[in-house]
Parts: sequence; structure tokens; C-alpha cells
Amino acid sequence: MKKVQQYLPWIVFVLALLYAGQKAISPERIESQFNLNSFRELPVSASGRTKPLDTVARNSLMNLSGRQSVRTDDGKMSAIEWYLELVTDPQQSIERQVFRIDHPGVLALVGLDTENRTRFSFAELFPSGNEINRQAMLASEVKAKSRDPFQHAVLVLNQRLMLYNSLQQLQSPYLVPPLRVGDDWRSFITVLNETPDDPDARALLTVLQSYKDKDVQVFNDELASLTSLVDSQIPYDARKSRYEVVFNQVQPFYSASILYVMAFLVGCFGLLASQLSRSAWSKTLLGTMTGLIIAAFIVHTIGITSRVYLQGRPPITNLYSSAVFIGWFAVILGLIMDRQMKLGLGGILASVIGFGTLIVAHNLGSSGDTMEMMQAVLDSNFWLATHVVVVTIGYSATFFAGFLATAYVLLGVFTRLLDHERGKSLSKMIYGVICFATLMSFLGTVLGGIWADQSWGRFWGWDAKENGAALIVLLNLLILHARWGGMVRDRGVAVLAISGNIVTAWSWFGTNMLGVGLHSYGFTQSAVFWISMFVISQLVLMGIGMMPMQIWRSKFQRHPVEKNKPVQPATA
Amino acid sequence: MIRKLLKPLASLKLTVVIFALSIILVFAGTLAQVHAGIWTVVDQYFRSLFVRIELQIFIPESVAELDGAIWFPGGLTLGVVMLVNLVAAHSVRFKFRKKRIGIIVTHLGVILLLVGEFVTGFAAREGNMTIREGETVNFIEDIRSTELAVIDQSGPKDDLVVVVPGSIMSHNETISNGLLPFTIEVSEWMHNSQLLGPNQQQGARKGLADSGTGSSFAAAPVPRANGVDNGQTVDVPSVYLTISKGDQRIGSYLLSVYFQQPQSVVVDGRTYQIELRFRRTYKPYEIHLVDFKHDLFTGTQMARNFSSEVRLVDKERNVDRDVLIYMNHPLRHAGETFYQASFLADNSGTVLQVVQNPGWLIPYVSCTMVTLGMLIHFGIRLVPTLRRPSK
Repeated sequence: MKKVQQYLPWIVFVLALLYAGQKAISPERIESQFNLNSFRELPVSASGRTKPLDTVARNSLMNLSGRQSVRTDDGKMSAIEWYLELVTDPQQSIERQVFRIDHPGVLALVGLDTENRTRFSFAELFPSGNEINRQAMLASEVKAKSRDPFQHAVLVLNQRLMLYNSLQQLQSPYLVPPLRVGDDWRSFITVLNETPDDPDARALLTVLQSYKDKDVQVFNDELASLTSLVDSQIPYDARKSRYEVVFNQVQPFYSASILYVMAFLVGCFGLLASQLSRSAWSKTLLGTMTGLIIAAFIVHTIGITSRVYLQGRPPITNLYSSAVFIGWFAVILGLIMDRQMKLGLGGILASVIGFGTLIVAHNLGSSGDTMEMMQAVLDSNFWLATHVVVVTIGYSATFFAGFLATAYVLLGVFTRLLDHERGKSLSKMIYGVICFATLMSFLGTVLGGIWADQSWGRFWGWDAKENGAALIVLLNLLILHARWGGMVRDRGVAVLAISGNIVTAWSWFGTNMLGVGLHSYGFTQSAVFWISMFVISQLVLMGIGMMPMQIWRSKFQRHPVEKNKPVQPATA
Repeated sequence: MIRKLLKPLASLKLTVVIFALSIILVFAGTLAQVHAGIWTVVDQYFRSLFVRIELQIFIPESVAELDGAIWFPGGLTLGVVMLVNLVAAHSVRFKFRKKRIGIIVTHLGVILLLVGEFVTGFAAREGNMTIREGETVNFIEDIRSTELAVIDQSGPKDDLVVVVPGSIMSHNETISNGLLPFTIEVSEWMHNSQLLGPNQQQGARKGLADSGTGSSFAAAPVPRANGVDNGQTVDVPSVYLTISKGDQRIGSYLLSVYFQQPQSVVVDGRTYQIELRFRRTYKPYEIHLVDFKHDLFTGTQMARNFSSEVRLVDKERNVDRDVLIYMNHPLRHAGETFYQASFLADNSGTVLQVVQNPGWLIPYVSCTMVTLGMLIHFGIRLVPTLRRPSK
């Protein structure tokens, strides 16, 4: 039994890694006589980035339908099969139900509101094409900020139809690689019209034609020669492209989030066990949790480094990657914290934040490629690597302090888990993380100022995102000075630290919702709702934290009994 | 005595109050940008002693309409109080000890940062240089203010230019001055405007001017640009005015910053050029735009890079060289810095932002100090406390 307790964390750790790595070790192959596994690795150029066809197919399908595969009567169809069918057999393809429509007004517009589903085929939408187009024209006249949900939905549908058409007509992505370094990618149709004897275009044409004719032999042979041609033309991109296909299958952030959830559950049992009895099981469970978190963290890290390699950019380039990074860094903080105070709380927080931010990222990334190109002014690896990373660490640390404080309040009010020692060391931790957050958010903000001075001559422009970062610095400074001045103690610091969650959420997302200037990348409508919910929940937490100490179930006094003890006469 | 006076000023409570007020001010000053231009907000909120905060900014108009407003200390007030608080604290509370060195360095850095912001607020000048390909420009435009220029080109050597600041015209009054050859009666001033072509004019906007370009074009007022729209960010003023000499009415004109060319006015047989333009400052150097490039990512409309190949000629300083100005790579010359800021429609020219800020180095120094100070302080104070094992 003891042996089991001793080795369980390690066994779980290894199993977790195997779980996450299984697809990297034995990649999922598409069962088909056609060599689609090799076809989907073909590099193409879309939205300015060179990527495998697999990514284009997946992202397009995700954009249209919210899924990366198509459900058909006889099972599932992978994204690449759907793409091939789209370009070679339009008659069959227009029957696939890939357009997701939720808005009842839009459903009524296309006359499909009586159907009991949310995904529709191109054939079903085709008769309403003109009306959709007219409504989209009307909606596009309205400023983005003032559009109502119907107008928004109609524009989305119209944009999806355009995407569908441009894929179907082979206008995008650009399929023909540059003949030599320095040249540009070209659209397949253009090349066929202008230089029909281009070797790549001809091979590709044969490949597509043979797929249409269901000629496996020609397809596979011609694809093999096309692949070796592309390999010789753009070897680096071809290699990256293959890696990205593996990355797409492994979905490291997905497996990491599963592992975080498991770690959270195990950790909760561990905490519970530590209260029920002093059994060694508590230690084992907490150890297992740490094992799971470390495994998740490794997978998370591999995910981030893969993106860095694929994109050739520092880790944070948009809202999506900032969410991934915030979670990643919070996990580091949680692991460090558990080394300092062996309560298991750090691991639980790490798993909550790790999972939560990956969910946020998943929702942010659902509209298409998360590795998009950078606006010209943001195109600077140096500043992306310094300012953006440091300021995001500042966000992450402020969130972590806020979540620690949440734990302090919840455990303190509703449980007896926090005795004097634990309460003290937890608030020491909160304080320490706030100090770190102050340093990082200040440094990050300043680096941003220096970047601004370099690129448009204004160190500080009072732009919304800058102000958001400044708010985080100011709040952290307020907490520190209030503590130094004795205006707040442990509990006050905790309540203020929870308000840090609100400020950070606002700087991270809220400022984007104002639709402001250069910094306003990635705005999503439903985010407004979720942010409001989050803010309300944090206000409630602050309210709970301010309830009188008498009704807190944890008592923080050092030795409540000793107070009343009669003083012992001193003995010599 | 002085200590007694300084004591309340040095209190940490005051520090915390300032932080709290600053948080509210910055938050409000960000929300205010939804409705007003960023520079209006900066002047009203962050460079003012007091600001009147409209309550409406906190709630979207679609939810509820609010009327009230509250007076609040502005950025200048908070900055000064913070400075006083800091200086007082160091003269009263802090004694120089080794373990305090981190805090002292940090606070000195903060003082420097505040001073730097004052310097920038008062001394920094920003302007634009708009140059078409093949053209040479020797002046900077301030796109936040306008001027009416009356140019007399009849002189043998130099042109005689009289300028009237736009701020005077915005009061819609009659302008006469010994330097001006005629009187100008402003009938309508538009802070921000749009041009209407001959086929777009309806009713009230028709025939407001009878001479010059305004006889075929009209202008209508539009809401001022705000800080948060991705579209227009610059106000483009226009003005309707009537020019007379004594009792003799010469004509009514439409002047607009939109117009590229000045209009001619003939008074007493002499021809004057008049134009409404962004306020100009002439410089001893000139910049010639050789080529402007606007690169896109393959197969997209997304900008990959903007760059301006220019030739900088400054006879006073014996400078004559070619420079490439592009994103994150400005040109620094004669205390001014030239940044790639924007470009003209159809990529026919570039817009450079020109900044003169004598205090531009201060933030670099002060921020290094603050960061270093914090590292030292947290390093010598915090880390040992955390290291101590908690039982």
C-alpha cells in the first residue's frame, strides 16, 4: 500500500504525458486509398502566412460551421476530405451542411426557420443569395458599433458565403509556391491562365483531376512528384508545414486543459482528505495533482513553443495567444507557491487558471487562424518579445494574486481550513505576488511607452490600452501603500486583490470593447456578456470578503484559548 | 515648524487617496474617449486642474440617459499633489538607511517621471509633414489647429503672408486688421466637416458661397472625430465667409482644409491667394519624398510595411542625405523626430509625424530607476521573508 502511495504521482504523471503525446507518437491517419495524409501537408499561402492545406481546411470549416469536421449520413468527414470535395465535386459539396446559423431573424430571412437544426448547406442558402447580399449591404452601411445582432449575424453569414466561394473557386488560398526565393505565392487560377505550363500548377491540376476521377494511382503518383517538387522549392516551409499538421492533430492546448481539470479534481480530493484525517492519502493525492499539473504544463509549453516556431514570432501576438500565455505563467506561479507552502492551494489555483484561460483562448480562436499576420506597426519581434511578454506576465501575476485572494476569502468564510499559520502564509503569498505583479506591470507598461516613443514619438498617449495597463500598476501600488500605511491588513489586501481581477479583465478585454485605436485587436460581441458576468462575480466575492470576521468560519487568532489562561507565576 | 506642516502632506493615507483618485480619473478618461477625441480628453482630463466628468460616459446611451456631471481633480492636480506628497515623505519620514535604498531610488524615479510628464505636457510639439512623391516640403502642420492664410504674391522677392488663427474664426465674428487688405466676416465655422459635390447639395447647404470653389462645392458640419473610432481621427474644418473692402462686398467664399489649392480674391486690382489650412511652422530644412512604399501581405489587404524614402536637406547644418523612414525606425534630426505615421490615398504620398520633445529622454532614465529600485527593494526585503519557511 505504501508503495502505491509513493509511486502513484509518478505513474499518473507518465500516463498523463502518454495521453497527451499519443497523437504525436502515432499520428491519426485518414483511412483512404488516396494519400490524403500527404496531401494535407502541402504548404499553401493564406492570409499572408504559409501553412499546410490541413490548417486552411480546418480553419475554414471551423469558421463556417464551428467544427473541424463534417458530420455526414455515413459518419464523419475530415476537413481535408471536405476541402477536396469542395474543389473537385461542387455538385456533391453544396449539399453538405456546413453553414452554421443561429440567429432566428437570419433563419427566417433564408426561410429555414422551420428546420430543427443549426447547420445548413450551400444548396439550401443559394435561393436566398440575393436577399442575404442585400441585407449585408444594408448592414455594412451601419457603423460597426451601432449594428444590432441581426445585422451582425447577416454580415457574418455573408462573409462565410464569400469564404466558401473563394475556396470553391480556388482563389484562396494561394496554392502555387514561389519558383525561387523572394518571389511571391500565386493563385492557382491566375497561374493556370497566365503560365499554364508551370510545373507546380500542372501537377496540382492532375492531382485534383484524378481525385475527381477517383483514380487512386495517378493521384498518389502525381502527389508524390508534386511533394518532392515543393520540397526542393521551399524546403523550410515544407518542413514547417509537416510539423503544423502534427500540431493540428495533437491539439496540445486541448489535452492540457483536460489534464488541468483532472488535476483540479484530484487536488480537491486531496484538500478534503487532509481535513478528514491525517492520512497519507492526502499527500499522495496532492502529489498526484502536482504530477498532473506538471504534465499539463509540459504539454502547454510544447504548444506555445510550437506556435513560436511555426509563426516565427514571440509567444504573444494576439488576444488568443495572450490568454494561452496568461494561463501558462499562472501555472508557473502556482507550482512555485506549492514549493513554498505545502498546502496544495497553488496547484489548485494553477489548474483553475490554466483551464480557464485555455477555455477563453478556445473561444477567442474559434473564428479562424490564430496565427494571423501582424499589423505593420506591431511587426517588431523585439518589442513583442519584451513589452508584450512582460506586460502579459504582469496581467498573469495580478490575476494570480486575485485568485489567491479569492481562495483566502472563500476558504476563510466557508471552511475552517485556514488557521493562524495558514492564513498568515497565504496572505504573505498574496502580498508577494502583488509586489511581483507591480514590478512586472510597471516594467511592461514602460517598455510599451518606449516602443511607442520609437514608433510614433509619444512615450505616453493616454490610449485606452495604455490606460488599462496603467490602471493595473496604480491598483497594485494602492494595495502596497495601503498595507505599508497600516490602512489594510491581510483581509483588506485580499479584498483589494480581488478587485485586481476586475481591473485586469478590463484592461485585457474591456478596452478592446471600446473599439479603440491601434491596440484594439480581436473584439468579440459575446465577450461583453462574459466580462460583465465576471465583474459581477468578483464584486460579490469582495462583498463576501468584507463580511464581519465573526461569521468567518476560519478563526485566525493565534491561540484563542490561551488568552484566558491565568498567568503562570514565574518560577526560578 | 516645517516638519509639522509637512507631516500631513507626507502621509501614506494621502498617497493611497491619490492612487484611488487616479484610478477613477484614468478609467473615466478612457471611457470619455468613446465620445470625444483623444486630444480633447487628454486636455480635459489629464492636463487640467479640474475636470467635469459627465456621468453619461459610464453607461451606454442605449441603456439609460444621464444628465449629471461631477467635478473631479484633473491629472495636473493629482500629479502635483503626488509630487508634493513624495517630496514631503522623503523629507519627513524616510531616513537614509541601507535597506531603504530601493525605495528611495524608486521614488526618485517616480519624481523624475512626473517632472518628465510636465515637461512633455508643456514643451512637446507634435506636427505632421505631408509630402507627395516628388515634392519637397519645408513646413510642419499642426493638425489640431487651423489658420486662414492670405498670401500676396505681388512682392518682387518674397510673398507676404498674413495668417489668422482658426480659433478666432470659430467665434463667428468679423475680422479686420491693419495687415489685412480687406475685412472678413465669418458666417459659419465648422470644426469638422464633409464636402458635398455639385450633385449632393440639398436645400440649406446650397449656394452659401457665390465665389471661388464654393460656387460648385458645399460643406456641411459633421460630429467631431473621437478617440475610439477606427475611421476618422482628425477634424477637417471648413468655413463660410464673406470678404468686403469698406462698404464694397467682394464675395462669399467656402474655404476648407480639404481643398488642395488656394483660391484667388481680387481686391482693388490686386490678386490675393486665400486658403484655410492646418497651422504651419516653417523649418530651416526641407524634405523631399523620393518614394513611398505600402507593402501588403501576399493575397491580402493587410499592410506589411510602410516606408518613405526621403532626401533630407538642411543647409544650416550642412546636411544633405537620403534616409529611409519606416515602421519603428524614425529619423532623428535637429531635436526633432520624424515617424512614418500615415499615407495619402492611392499611396501617392506619405504623412510623417514630427515630434519635438526636449524631455524625450526623461522617461527612459526615470523608468530604469523605478524598475531598478523595485528590484533592489523587493530583492532585499521580500525574498528573504518568503524564503523563511512557514511552519
